[in-house]
Amino acid sequence: MVAGKQDALLAQMRKGTLQYCVLALLADEERYGFDLVRSLAETDGMVTSEGTIYPLLSRLRRDGLVETSWRESTSGPPRRYYRLTKAGRAALDGFKDEWGRFRDAVDHFVERKA
Amino acid sequence: MSTTPDKLVERYLKHLEVELDDLPRDRRREIVDEIAGHIAEARAGLEHETEADVRNILEGLGDPADIAEDARERFEVRPVIPASTAYKPGWIEVGALVLLLVGAIVLPVVGWVIGVVLLWISNAWNVRDKFIGTLFWPGGLGFSLFFVFYGASQSSSSSPTSCQFSPVGTGEPANCIASPDSTGAMDVLAIVLVVAVVVTPIITTAYLGYRLRHQPGAATA
Repeated sequence: MVAGKQDALLAQMRKGTLQYCVLALLADEERYGFDLVRSLAETDGMVTSEGTIYPLLSRLRRDGLVETSWRESTSGPPRRYYRLTKAGRAALDGFKDEWGRFRDAVDHFVERKA
Repeated sequence: MSTTPDKLVERYLKHLEVELDDLPRDRRREIVDEIAGHIAEARAGLEHETEADVRNILEGLGDPADIAEDARERFEVRPVIPASTAYKPGWIEVGALVLLLVGAIVLPVVGWVIGVVLLWISNAWNVRDKFIGTLFWPGGLGFSLFFVFYGASQSSSSSPTSCQFSPVGTGEPANCIASPDSTGAMDVLAIVLVVAVVVTPIITTAYLGYRLRHQPGAATA
């Protein structure tokens, strides 16, 4: 495959799945933006431009998948914390099922021994 | 001369704000505020901040243009094309199309001439299109009507000579030759010719209208 095409494909896959990774990070605890970005950036290859997380968070909030509240911080100005809503949890669960099926289907073909 | 970290951050946020211009105001504010917060958090975690540290933080966030592109996609906002490159048919184009077609009927000669002027003023068409618009026909539908009535009066008044119109489409009206009989064949030819003469300016107008919407220059600009 041409390198440029592969990059574009990876970028698309990342873009499509990133929001569920964010929802998954919020599944057990609420987090603020910087904390979320740091966690995502720890996993290599998930985020190329950290700044793109913020439009995503804004969109998730507007879609009602996350909600936010401001908290005082001990180290500086107040932070906006993100928390999963009921709809967000449902979206995450739905994606988990679909993703499992999809991953298995792709594996079935690409991992098949010659 | 070195740039202070504060200046770098300020410049970055300003750049981001400009790039996010296409977004609704509240969304733009939210994103810029959150990214400003991100930078503040990251800087607060540094022991001894250097200019390089700040540059790394900003680089990690990414190019404001990339963030903006991602944001537009997330919010399904289409980028606004600068007015200089966007092409919108305006009154000049509409006026040209209308006057070229029927201008000569509404206001003999002058109406059509105004149409031609508008056609050549407009940036929407290339030179070839402008020639087509001017030559088929000079006078537009007015010419067609004149042609039809003139031709009809000629053929009815001069019975022994039948008028044959040149079908080349050069706009030369009549080419009369003496023909003793075979008026039936002449009539069929005349009808075909009349239809062609009447339809041509309509096709020309439709073509110019089509070129307005599918303008190569506007698409690649």
